[in-house]
Amino acid sequence: MTAKARNYLLISIAIFLFAALLVVVCSRKKAGHPEPETLSKTAADGAITEFIKVKLFYYSESSAFLQPVYREMQVPEIKEELYKKFIDLLLTGNNDLIIPIPVGVQLRSVFYLPELEMLVLDFNETLINDFPGGTTAELEFIYFIVDNMCYNFKEIKKIKFLSGGNENKTLAGHIDLEKPFFPDYNRIKNE
Amino acid sequence: MKHTIKASTIFIALLFFSQVLPALSIDFRSFDHEGFTRIVLEADQSFTFSVRNRPGQLQVLLPKHADFKTRSITVENSRLLERVTHEFKEDNSILTVFFKGDITINKNFVLEKPFRVVFDLVKSEKTAPLPQNNAENSEKPQVIPPAPQPAEPVTSKPKPIETICIDAGHGGEDLGAQGKSKLLEKNVTLQISKKLKKLIESKTGLRVIMTRDKDGEVSLNSRASIANNQQAQMFVSIHVNSSFRKSAYGSETYFVSLQATDPEALELARKENQNQEDPGETIKNDELKMILWNMAQTEYIRESSTLAEYIQFELNELLGTRNRGVKQAPFRVLMRTAMPAVLIETSFISNSAEEKKLQNDEFLDKIAFAIFNGISKFIYYYNNIVK
Repeated sequence: MTAKARNYLLISIAIFLFAALLVVVCSRKKAGHPEPETLSKTAADGAITEFIKVKLFYYSESSAFLQPVYREMQVPEIKEELYKKFIDLLLTGNNDLIIPIPVGVQLRSVFYLPELEMLVLDFNETLINDFPGGTTAELEFIYFIVDNMCYNFKEIKKIKFLSGGNENKTLAGHIDLEKPFFPDYNRIKNE
Repeated sequence: MKHTIKASTIFIALLFFSQVLPALSIDFRSFDHEGFTRIVLEADQSFTFSVRNRPGQLQVLLPKHADFKTRSITVENSRLLERVTHEFKEDNSILTVFFKGDITINKNFVLEKPFRVVFDLVKSEKTAPLPQNNAENSEKPQVIPPAPQPAEPVTSKPKPIETICIDAGHGGEDLGAQGKSKLLEKNVTLQISKKLKKLIESKTGLRVIMTRDKDGEVSLNSRASIANNQQAQMFVSIHVNSSFRKSAYGSETYFVSLQATDPEALELARKENQNQEDPGETIKNDELKMILWNMAQTEYIRESSTLAEYIQFELNELLGTRNRGVKQAPFRVLMRTAMPAVLIETSFISNSAEEKKLQNDEFLDKIAFAIFNGISKFIYYYNNIVK
């Protein structure tokens, strides 16, 4: 084999390996958690209501990792309404679960910006005024919301927090709240 | 004949030296960072090693005279590591790290002064194909010769450390977190900071500045500005932690994490620098300054990570409390500091037992001393690399 032919062969092998690597990387990116299961329920009068089976994640005293709980929720027509309902459901929880949000905090409004794949959540001012402080508490709150929302709704890639309609520098003096947050699924307990 | 004698002499000399080689003492550390777990093997001399990557475990083959500083290596509460074993086998000293689930080695590199072998591990995608681990590959060790990469700061010419900035968290109307018995974070952080200042000044003679030395409110931006303007070469922010989980306890040390939007800002800044002649393409100068200021810490991430590791190691050694590890988060106070910078969460005021400890002056002395030890070790490391 001539040197030229050998070079061509090496370049071809390199291109093939690069293409194979690309395919693997792309397939890894596409793989992930499944979309929420959609269910339809027919009432006695024949009306069909659509539900989704969502996976909610909570902390508990025994674990710093978010652990799943399954719930069903009705699907409203407006997307923002769905997100708001989801957060209402998330904040319901139950006695054994820890909801890392100060008492009295309410969601004022929800905006979804499709071009940025970003959800903006505006809570009332109680979020800032009554936040207990502590880095861990801030991170618990942020990723409780971000991981739950992004896990269940694929179209949401990042979340920005507002309080009383305003941007805030931090919740209680630690984490920069002016930038949006991406999910950190390392906080979710291995199933 | 002559060659045979020469070869025999060399062989005998090698045999002799191999028997009297000084023991290689290695220190094993592991920390959970945001998105990855870091394993560090540190020794006071360089060593050769090879890696066997097997499903569910990582085997590091070390020289036969290598031993570990502690008899049993523990990895309590690690996110990715199950346990670690060490044995002498087949003329090798073998370290085996058992993983929790599917883990891959994302990075493996070597640092000097002191000599360290670093592995960064990440969780594999569950649905992704398993790495190719056929029998041939798994048995054949992948030999990695030590290729020292000095961990030099990226800046033009850093100076040895002369000034340290201590930041007592919160203050004034910003009370910080509050314990059940009304202990306030702002008071505890000031007490620890004052103790730490005294220790550094008396034992090293270095200049120490504080962002506050009394109960007053200082904004997060001002804290970073004080450190930058005073040309401090290290920024240590002291805090007390709080959690919605009352059972949470222990100490942790943070360095800043870059959020995914930062590369976009970096790109914006780069474009600005390229298109200064074209006013139509430029962004406002003030905006650019703001972007660059927000990214001041990016040049010091590696040093900040090392400083965090040194301090956290000492906190574990001295406090004997739960090691929550070195972590990363986008801290506002750290982002704008142009120097190695860390934030220490010494313990949990939200945990009744730890709140009680924080009311004890001896415990605060211990915290200050542990932080001082970590800082001292970092100064030694840093001053060596900037020489």
